[in-house]
Amino acid sequence: MTISLFAFKLVITAALAITVISPIALVIFWIKDWKDRKLW
Amino acid sequence: MNSVNSAVLDANTGWLILALFSALWIALGWFWGRKARQLDDYMLAGRNVGLALGTATAMATWVTSNTTLVAPQFALQLGIWGMLGYSLGSVGLMLFAPMVKRIRQLVPHGYTSGDFIRMRYGTWTWRVFLVISMCYALGWLISLGMAGGILIHALTGIQYELGMTVILVICVSYTLLGGLRAVIGTDFIQTLLILLGIIILAVLTITEIGFDTMHQNVLAERPELLNLLMPAAIMFLFNNLLFGIGEIFHSNVWWSRAFAFRENVGFRAYLIAGIVWAPIPIVAGFIALAVPSLGLNVPAADMVGPMVAAKLLGFTGAVIVFIVVFSSLASSLDSLLAATSDLILQDIYRGHINPDASDERLRIMAKRIILLLGVLTWMICLPRVATLGSLLQYLGAFVASTIWPIIAGLYWQRTNANGALLAMVLGTVTGIWAYFAVGFYVAALVSAAVSMLIVVISTWIRPSHFDWTRLASATGADRS
Repeated sequence: MTISLFAFKLVITAALAITVISPIALVIFWIKDWKDRKLW
Repeated sequence: MNSVNSAVLDANTGWLILALFSALWIALGWFWGRKARQLDDYMLAGRNVGLALGTATAMATWVTSNTTLVAPQFALQLGIWGMLGYSLGSVGLMLFAPMVKRIRQLVPHGYTSGDFIRMRYGTWTWRVFLVISMCYALGWLISLGMAGGILIHALTGIQYELGMTVILVICVSYTLLGGLRAVIGTDFIQTLLILLGIIILAVLTITEIGFDTMHQNVLAERPELLNLLMPAAIMFLFNNLLFGIGEIFHSNVWWSRAFAFRENVGFRAYLIAGIVWAPIPIVAGFIALAVPSLGLNVPAADMVGPMVAAKLLGFTGAVIVFIVVFSSLASSLDSLLAATSDLILQDIYRGHINPDASDERLRIMAKRIILLLGVLTWMICLPRVATLGSLLQYLGAFVASTIWPIIAGLYWQRTNANGALLAMVLGTVTGIWAYFAVGFYVAALVSAAVSMLIVVISTWIRPSHFDWTRLASATGADRS
């Protein structure tokens, strides 16, 4: 059973989308922690 | 992979990148370490780490050079399940999230995973657990040290001994200067570098080659890589899942972070780290499927990632791969150095040698232990004994045996000390037997299954009535 082109595209695109969002989310968390003086 | 011919960068560029990042990490280590006056500041970053740094450190520590280089290798060898199986390593992080909350509630003043095992199960189970933990920590340290030398050599042609020495000296230096604060702070920057690097490579692979061409060419030349029923890949998937869970549940790398994170941060930090870690092996790995489209001849499967990057992006691609690999190595090596030195300090030095040591004495000893650990790792890595590199594979049997004693110890009042001890010993022994009798892909599976049976049966036959409040006094100072 071979993975279809559609499923292949879907898996890679979803993975890439989460990976693109994660550094943005980390920077937003950092700014929020820094503002609240809760970095460490 | 050992040949200089496979280098995608010249040695001078390699040295320049190493020098720039060494200066940055060491300066930051010194900067963040200046204010660490108390033992808690040095060992646990003041127990006040917030969500941003907490999530990034959990993520960066779990992204090793393996994630960035072996994920493409698995994609090339095991196809679609190779990278999906690798991404299941994130399950351990996600499952650990609720446990972190429980750990902080039960052991609010703890320092190490050993503190919990000692208070929950007593001295002998604690000692067996320490043997397993130390075997794993040293195995991982040696494997990372060797991987550092081998990868720097493979990517730049810089001699193995020099590359391995440089990466160890850098990580030991900034961990020594700044303790866990330096480790966590640098992890944040390293996470961003790793993520940006793999995003650039993945986007370029898609725009340069395209999904359709890639899928079509793999289907024509290597159809097995797109097969969803490849048996070896499915077995790898389950073993990797259990190995990952065992690694995270028992290792002080993760427990020390549970103690270091601000209250109410641990659960969210580990859960988010797991969710954002899961796609990394897929994004880093799928570029290997571009090999048929690019017509590349890959002499060593573990060099497929750098080769595709260099082919697509030339010099810039090679530099990106080098920075990603270097950041991945450093983010894991520093965490392991800090967490292992904590374990030696608290559970061996304070627990067995000098229970009355003052905080000042412990701080001095913490630095000496980090230094000694670095020197020991360097000495073992120097001869580059090939079999040591694969040491980590045996450890699946060791770590998987701790999964059930830890889960039951945290949530099941009736689990007894002897059952936990027996579960770790017999789980490890049968796991090692399975490794040699069947194969590497069942070692963790057998170990976890045997350990689970023993924990369940011993709890049923001889239930104990553990008083959870006893764990609240675990501070390290309670040993004397």
